[in-house]
Amino acid sequence: MSGIMLTDEPVRRPRPLGSPLLRKIQRACRLSLPEPDLGLNLDVADYINDKQGAAPREAALTIVRLINSKDIHTAIFALSLLDVLVKNCGYPIHLQISRKEFLNELVRSFPERPLPRPTKVQKLILTAIEEWYQTICKHSAYKEDMGYIRDMHRLLKYKGYSFPHIKEEDLAVLRPSEHLKTSSEIQKEQEIAQAAKLEELIRRGRPEDLKEANKLMKVMAGFKEDNAIQAKQSISDELSKLKRKADLFNEMLTSNPDLNDDALVELYSALKVSQPKFQKIIEEEQDDDQLVQDLLGFNDTVNQLLEKYNLLKTGHSSEANQITVSHISSSIKTNEGTGGALANELNLIDFDDETPHSEATDNAPTHNINGGNDIDDLLGDLGNLNFNQPAQDFGLGGSISLTGPSPVSPIVSTPSVTAPTNTSSAFDLLSDISSTVPQSNNKPATTTNNSNSLDLLGGFDSPSSNNNLSRPATTTPRLLVHESTHLKIEFALTRQSPNSIEIHSYFSNIGPSPIAEFTFLIAVPKTVQLRLNPQSGSFLPAETADAVSQLGFIDNVTTNMAKPLKVKWKCDYTVNGTNVEETAVTVLPSI
Amino acid sequence: MGSSISRALGKVFGSREMKILMLGLDNAGKTSILYKLKLNKVKTHEAPTVGFNVETVSYKKVKFNMWDVGGQERLRPLWRHYYPATNALIFVIDSSDRSRLNEAKEELYNIIGEKEMQNVTLLVLANKQDLKTAMKPQELSKYLELDKNIKKNRQLWCCVGSNALTGQGLVEGLSWIANNTK
Repeated sequence: MSGIMLTDEPVRRPRPLGSPLLRKIQRACRLSLPEPDLGLNLDVADYINDKQGAAPREAALTIVRLINSKDIHTAIFALSLLDVLVKNCGYPIHLQISRKEFLNELVRSFPERPLPRPTKVQKLILTAIEEWYQTICKHSAYKEDMGYIRDMHRLLKYKGYSFPHIKEEDLAVLRPSEHLKTSSEIQKEQEIAQAAKLEELIRRGRPEDLKEANKLMKVMAGFKEDNAIQAKQSISDELSKLKRKADLFNEMLTSNPDLNDDALVELYSALKVSQPKFQKIIEEEQDDDQLVQDLLGFNDTVNQLLEKYNLLKTGHSSEANQITVSHISSSIKTNEGTGGALANELNLIDFDDETPHSEATDNAPTHNINGGNDIDDLLGDLGNLNFNQPAQDFGLGGSISLTGPSPVSPIVSTPSVTAPTNTSSAFDLLSDISSTVPQSNNKPATTTNNSNSLDLLGGFDSPSSNNNLSRPATTTPRLLVHESTHLKIEFALTRQSPNSIEIHSYFSNIGPSPIAEFTFLIAVPKTVQLRLNPQSGSFLPAETADAVSQLGFIDNVTTNMAKPLKVKWKCDYTVNGTNVEETAVTVLPSI
Repeated sequence: MGSSISRALGKVFGSREMKILMLGLDNAGKTSILYKLKLNKVKTHEAPTVGFNVETVSYKKVKFNMWDVGGQERLRPLWRHYYPATNALIFVIDSSDRSRLNEAKEELYNIIGEKEMQNVTLLVLANKQDLKTAMKPQELSKYLELDKNIKKNRQLWCCVGSNALTGQGLVEGLSWIANNTK
């Protein structure tokens, strides 16, 4: 009998094998395409977002197999698909790409030492890892789950691979956007992430995974209400931030006539895009009278502000001047009535001296790891590498692979002891200050932050605040408190009286981009009192020394204090459209 | 005769591993069954399972990874996360609690209606046979209407009476699963 014959079955194209997901992935990576097809890639992303469950895992496994295919074309398409998934499918995919097996598989084609010229596929893989390293490893709410990405990044670096520079725009996509989300949106996101994590833990099935799965299940089943509360908290945090922005916007409209100023335009669009969300939140939270009233009032204010801006822009400055908007964020205080915000503020300011060690080194992942340890640590890793073993099993990877049961602790190369740390650890630092700081894991310390800034901003419209600026301060030596890529902070300390010192803070922009929405908070131990004058401004033009300054006094500081005086500070600003928080504890020299 | 067949099957398949998912309403006796099988001990007055328990039970060269997931209402939406890679489902019913039989039936149909669970072997345990008011397995099986609702050859199912205190029916159930699961 020959291989070809007609049967009773109608003649049809053979049905493609595999699941719908597999077919979609194959379609997006097929050779006949001239270039990566965004539409097809997004189709895969939609399918995964819709199906969840095993879909993210199946996709990651299939794609990494295609990346390792001999055909360069297919590999490039697969990498572009992976990029789209990482950007559109959120945590469920991030969890899969941070699995050790996946990462080992991803670098399977990498030789032990880099080639003089990496191949195109290798370059793309390095780009992807660098991007993840710069974004989800740092900003994801679940960044502690991304340890293996950090490890792989480190291992490749150690092996001599260099990572390409990633453009800021490309990174911005994966950074958390500061949208106002409704509480159902926040909850849904949380539920998807939790479900993905639970299934992954069950799949792994090691005792420690099961223990965590059990814990997670309890959270998912029993504490739904907690999620709702957290969502609400997060709304109020975001709202406070927006109010602060509105205040700043108002401030700039009255004082700064340059309508094309970047910071001003940015504030305008931030306010504008949030407006549709107000409606949605009001619908969802209609039981919460206070919130609804607050939102309605705030919406009116935003309308006024936007109108004012538009009037100014079209040259109707006299009409614009008739619109006067009072400070919005100060009105929340009265609204809340309970003084909750105020109480927090007080607590923020007097942190207890009882914490015996410096929190900066304790909490932040920035222990001073010196070069020697660093190498030891890496060599320890290398000992476990399977160099010559042919990679047969999935996940063992090529000559570069991660082994060992647990992720190696990340190295963060931050130079000084008072190293500033990013977002969430900043929150940790502040949470030490007072136990009553509201618990919000995702958006650190925004409420406290806001309530403080009220006072900082409070003096803005009084013209006298400018006097602080021109104060000569050349005589006192300055203490370099902190220096990062963008910002330099210096204190000038002078003793005013036997029990009071003057603390003059200078903020310089040492980077190429302007810093906007700059706020600086400072906290002192309970034993002393702090009085602060308003900041001289909140905008630091690029590469400008002493662009903003602030005068404060610390009272009850005697000359013979038993312990050196420690202050905890935190600043918060926007640069290139991203929010940055920096914080540390600084020991003041005795004066 | 039956035992010789099962022994022969055991030889053919060698030692193998199976994921067994044990579900059912709260207070059906899932956790008691698990620990009777695992430790041959009866734990009475147990607190309801919040979360899940997992134990390995070996029987005739078959390693059963038994997942007992809490049955309280708020845990039920989470059952689906345990479906992937399941070979057999043990659905445990408190045969003495007639007032909740319908609820149990609904939950059972919810589970086997899911795509991932349509082809797994199904064992219904009519538990608490020690109680006088308990429904007999035949009666329960009729109530559940499985013969009517499960299409032939799609899903194998069986209903066995059990008693977690004495262990009656448990080994029989597992052995049926071992012999009837691919």
